[in-house]
Amino acid sequence: MCGIAGRILTAPGKVGADLVDLMDAQEHRGADSTGFAVYGLPRETGYVLRGMGFDKSRQESDLSEFEAVLREHGGSFLSDPEILTDQNRHYCFRMEISDPANLQALVADADELADRIEIQSCGRSLEIIKDIGGAEVVAEKHGVQDMIGTHGLGHARLATESSVLPNASHPFWARPFSDVAIVHNGQITDYFTWRDKLTRMGYRFLTENDSELIAVWVSDQMKAGLTMEQALKKSITSIDGVFTYMIATPNGIGFAKDRFALKPLVVVNRSGDLAAATEEQAVRRVMTEECDVINYDGPSLTGIWSIGNWSLAA
Amino acid sequence: MTKVAEKMDKIVIEVGKRHIREVNRDIMAACATGRPIRVVDTLSRHNLAVGLPDNVDITFEGSVGYYCGGLNTGANISIERNCGWAVGEGMAKGHITVGGYAGMSCGAAMIGGTIHVKGDAGPRVGVAMKGGNIVIEGKIGYQSGFMAHSGRIIALGGAGESCADALWEGEVWVAEEVDSLGVDVDVIEPTAEEVAEVDAILDPLGLVDSSRNWRKMVSGQRLWYFESRDASAWLMI
Repeated sequence: MCGIAGRILTAPGKVGADLVDLMDAQEHRGADSTGFAVYGLPRETGYVLRGMGFDKSRQESDLSEFEAVLREHGGSFLSDPEILTDQNRHYCFRMEISDPANLQALVADADELADRIEIQSCGRSLEIIKDIGGAEVVAEKHGVQDMIGTHGLGHARLATESSVLPNASHPFWARPFSDVAIVHNGQITDYFTWRDKLTRMGYRFLTENDSELIAVWVSDQMKAGLTMEQALKKSITSIDGVFTYMIATPNGIGFAKDRFALKPLVVVNRSGDLAAATEEQAVRRVMTEECDVINYDGPSLTGIWSIGNWSLAA
Repeated sequence: MTKVAEKMDKIVIEVGKRHIREVNRDIMAACATGRPIRVVDTLSRHNLAVGLPDNVDITFEGSVGYYCGGLNTGANISIERNCGWAVGEGMAKGHITVGGYAGMSCGAAMIGGTIHVKGDAGPRVGVAMKGGNIVIEGKIGYQSGFMAHSGRIIALGGAGESCADALWEGEVWVAEEVDSLGVDVDVIEPTAEEVAEVDAILDPLGLVDSSRNWRKMVSGQRLWYFESRDASAWLMI
């Protein structure tokens, strides 16, 4: 059992604060860790990288090694990396970098350092923040309440299929596709089958979390030419398990539900001002006026909510 | 508003962000007075009014979350808008009315009483129920009636996929289209006496309509004593 949420605003605003409210209301579904994917105002050049290092005593050497890799790919820091530490051994970072010659090649080489530091999001507008603890704890540590943006995702994790580790928290970035993030409630039962296939295609997985697989699987289908709507529909019959997941891009949020209708999704959509969550009580935290709630309770459902142009594909 | 305030002859209880255990204690205390109860600011919170006793009249203003009215032993519970999963789960007696939509597993494992939903209902209505009646004015969702041991599910709208899957002795009555049947289900023509029994359930709700074309679903009984060594029997269904 986990809790997931999505939020779309009609104009850029405090989407971070709303995501914190949505996840705080669902903390009982999983307090092992909490994460947020926030889509800020997109930049024309450069990327924001978010991630974590696993030993703060090696922070300086880790970041020097990463900077060397970045320079090999023609990129550089646009400002000093921001570092967050606390009593935990791991530390978190946020970097603004210039465009490398080839982003995917940079990510591949940076992943060679994955036993020390791990890039957890890369985007012109996407920033993934995730850590151990409940919504308020993670939000306060990382300043999520003050993040401005257009839309985003949230996740409260009850660890089942992999360990309680900060890097096994959601959301997951669809490595190496920039600006794609996913949150997932469920279990993928053919995880190792698909992971093996995708690994042989050249994709790299940094955790044993089945949600990381869905992010890459959907992105790979879109790379192969499917629209997001087609990829979401295909996932229902191609991926085995019980799941409801939401996947976000700079253009909006899509969702898919499995064939067995076991994982809930509740949505309020007021002319593009949209909140989606596992539980109705969460959406009512941000939709305080009385409003109609849509329950996507049925099996095999998909949908896409676009920024400023909402449509349902199911 | 105070947490528990008296308003006319009703006792008004506010939910808001209070701990549900505290709210339920207030509800149980109000039940002991014998006066009607109105619960406000419900915010779709879970586990409200579980295990209520007989001779209680309680109304929820707004929507409620999961398990509202579970283990009911005789209370008359009214939810003005929607409810989440498993409203009335395990109830033995009493009446629950839902003004809007009911989430998954409405009336799961109930053994008596009546649940009346004025809107649609999600998947698995009456899953594993062992008695009582569930009346849905709209459409019932995927796999409704799954493994219902006894009791009736009556849908005045249609039914979703895999309807009445693996029924035992429960019955699923549907007045409109059924998207697909589950395994081991027979659709039979109800007798006039059986229709009269259903009308007797619908009559107090003001829902009798003699023009309905009922589809009554019962177990085909081909899997009741299924022998796993005879897998071909399963494949024939």
